[in-house]
Amino acid sequence: MAAGKQVFAIVKKDVLAELRTKEMVIAMLLFVILAMVVFSQAFGVILNDLDRVGGGLLWVAFLFMSMLGLNRSFVHEKDEGCLEGLLMSPIDRPLIFFGKMLGNLLFLSIVELFAVPIFFVLFRLELGASMAGIFLATIFLSNVGIASVGTLLSTISINTKTRDLMLPILFLPVIIPLLIAAVSATGGIMSGEELTEVYRSMRFIAVYDIIFLLVAYALYDYVISE
Amino acid sequence: MKKSSLILASAGALLLMAGVYLAFFVAPDAVVRIDDRELVRYSQKIFYFHVPVAETSFVFLLLGGLFGAMYLGTRKRSYEQMSYAAVEVGFIFVLLVMITGVLWTRADWGVWWEWEPRLTTFLVLTLMYSGYFVLRSSVQEESAKARFGAIFSIIAAVNVPLTFVAGRLDSLKPVHPTVFTLQGASMEGPMLAAFLVSMFGMLLFATSLYIMRLDLLRAREDIEYLKEELEVG
Repeated sequence: MAAGKQVFAIVKKDVLAELRTKEMVIAMLLFVILAMVVFSQAFGVILNDLDRVGGGLLWVAFLFMSMLGLNRSFVHEKDEGCLEGLLMSPIDRPLIFFGKMLGNLLFLSIVELFAVPIFFVLFRLELGASMAGIFLATIFLSNVGIASVGTLLSTISINTKTRDLMLPILFLPVIIPLLIAAVSATGGIMSGEELTEVYRSMRFIAVYDIIFLLVAYALYDYVISE
Repeated sequence: MKKSSLILASAGALLLMAGVYLAFFVAPDAVVRIDDRELVRYSQKIFYFHVPVAETSFVFLLLGGLFGAMYLGTRKRSYEQMSYAAVEVGFIFVLLVMITGVLWTRADWGVWWEWEPRLTTFLVLTLMYSGYFVLRSSVQEESAKARFGAIFSIIAAVNVPLTFVAGRLDSLKPVHPTVFTLQGASMEGPMLAAFLVSMFGMLLFATSLYIMRLDLLRAREDIEYLKEELEVG
């Protein structure tokens, strides 16, 4: 099988499983909306100045939501013995990483596509059409980094005694650089900053994505093979 | 204790003591002018301790990642022990950086903490390597512990420069003093001498700690092996 076909087969498997159960995407979306409600109740008045803190709130919600999804995506693999099945199937080992990573990226992006408009409505924010494109591009670019680091680290954490408890401890410090850049980019877009500043942050996110895509791809084989 | 580590430790201790002497009695005091009055900033003396500690921590964490990669490449147990010992020693120095750093920011800036690129980087680094030890203790099987430890030590080493660059993106303005730039060190004479003596002392001392720790890890494994042999026999 060609590489693309193999990767596609894994993504298709995850999408099919999700379409049958529908548990992950819906739970993630509900979680994000609930996080927004919690923010609005916890911060109240400050949220009138949301142009400046809105980007941060959005990313806090997205990061925690992504950990929820990342954990789920491997619980099945581990509990139902799917990972052994994957390892025994005639798929090149490193391609398993891309398959799982693309699946995670897809679910993350779908949830965010619904969550962003809700966020803007709930917090009475507005963005011009041209800005909305850059905004979504930033989010998607960051998702690539989240999915790469997250796929690698959640595969590790699911194989430990503490399982899903381990993911935040490993994932959050590693994702901090991405968070800093993502908050600065989205915050810059929302408060109408110079676009050069925004592009600088986006460039950093792209560099982070490439580095961790390569690192995770190179290391993934060592995580899954005994 | 092996002879080599004993020699290294004593040489390191002697150099460190010489460094303290040079820092306090030879190197000139840092002076600031406020309204025509000259104030001596004794808190600057921590520089001769804080910076060598920070650079030593970087050296050993980098080595930890490097040995981790070598373990994954060769699957030789000795590289795994070298990686673990290096990260352990590096982590002790990271904690020392945090302690000395916080003391200095309080003395010089008047606050215990400031969200600044270097400080943020070190806090993230501390948390990341704390996670490394939590991860290792949460895996029972020896080979998985070695693999996951090595993998995370590489990820962490890659992430340190990224965190630093990200911190400089915007909101966090660097206020931490910079002594070493690409143009060279902005100090000379006795100050540089005191610093270099402390720096080498610290490196020697850390290396002796590393060798001792490595010996201990190897001895522990030998004992485990012998125990198993006895049980089987």
